[in-house]
Amino acid sequence: MRIRALALLGIVAGVCLVLLTLQMRGGAGLASEALAVVTTPVQTVLARINRATLGVWGTYRDWKNVRTDNRRLREETQRLRVEALRVSETDAENQRLRRLLALKESLPLETMAGEIIAREWGGWVRSLTVNRGRGDSVVRLTAVIAPDGLVGRIIDVRAGSSIVQVLTDPASNVGAHVVRTRTPGIVEGEPRGTLRFKYMARDGGGLRVGDMVVTSGLGGLFPGGIPIGRVRTIDDRGAALFSYAQVTPAVDFARIDEVLLLIGGAVRDVASSFKGDG
Amino acid sequence: MRTFLAIAVLGGGVAHATVGSALRIADVAPDIPLIVVVLLALRRGPEFGCGAGFVAGLLQDAATGGLLGVQALTKAVVGFAIGVVGSRLRVSQPLVQVPGLVLLSVLEGLARFGLLQLFHFPAPFGELMTYVVLPQALYNGFLGAALVLALAWAETLKDRTP
Repeated sequence: MRIRALALLGIVAGVCLVLLTLQMRGGAGLASEALAVVTTPVQTVLARINRATLGVWGTYRDWKNVRTDNRRLREETQRLRVEALRVSETDAENQRLRRLLALKESLPLETMAGEIIAREWGGWVRSLTVNRGRGDSVVRLTAVIAPDGLVGRIIDVRAGSSIVQVLTDPASNVGAHVVRTRTPGIVEGEPRGTLRFKYMARDGGGLRVGDMVVTSGLGGLFPGGIPIGRVRTIDDRGAALFSYAQVTPAVDFARIDEVLLLIGGAVRDVASSFKGDG
Repeated sequence: MRTFLAIAVLGGGVAHATVGSALRIADVAPDIPLIVVVLLALRRGPEFGCGAGFVAGLLQDAATGGLLGVQALTKAVVGFAIGVVGSRLRVSQPLVQVPGLVLLSVLEGLARFGLLQLFHFPAPFGELMTYVVLPQALYNGFLGAALVLALAWAETLKDRTP
């Protein structure tokens, strides 16, 4: 057995050395050709299988990569959206606070900034809760304004917060006049959340749609000249004692976040602080 | 069984030049025919190892366009040697398989280099060992061990099947 194996090894070695020697002398081309006849078709088949397998594998990997990329891009998009929202929110807040600050600085009254922390919008009552209370020396009936105009008055003061009765509250009424005609009247809240201007005028007062209604300053509660809203429709009742006009509020009460509380100073006309809106 | 052996030897010899490239890691490809020859020689003895090495090496020479006979001779010698000493080694242990195949690959590389030197092959020894022979030997060691384990697992499964 061992001899046979050694003989086989010897033969193999001999054949190989002969092949090598022949090649070095430029021969053995026939052997190469003969082997190529066997190897080439096998290689062709294997290469095709290889390519097909690699193709499937490559497709799978591409698909996986696309899926991974897709997931990554979705997360990135989500993150950027949140970031954009945060930035735009900050930007909007910045704008609001800038306006509030500008108003605060332009007002000839002592003011205190407050943040809206709750809203009651049920219809029976329309109020906002502001984060300023007894601890901040807030007193009842303090006027509350925003850069766009009048918000309402404080009707309840608590330790760390206060309740603001909004102009659209059905129990709210504010002495007002129309800027263009100086027509005096009262702005009342309505249960449906709108405002109406109630005024005495034999000839309808000459009101027009779009006229600005501001606080009159009478009664000593609100300074004069604070924008309340613009006349939307006029209900001229002819010879009736009172006429009415629907008013669109100057302030969007549902979206307001920061307000100013007028906490001190002599009550006077502050129309010049809102002249951009009048 | 003979068909399988024929496919293993012939396929291993030719597949190296085609499929082997797919197994390349960091530009190092395993010597699949060598691993096949070693595995066959361990199971079938020196004669079969020698013959299988010769055929696989010859096909590899032809497939890769090298000098015909170089790998045929080195693999025949490796197959023969492993066939002779294989029964004395505990080749079922990975701790033997990996270093064993690494050593065999290095020896085969050295033999191939020596043979080629005889026929005026110009490659420098140091670079050849550093960048070709040793990395390929390591790869052969791990791939061969994995193949041995896979075969053992397949045989276990086969034995369990009623």
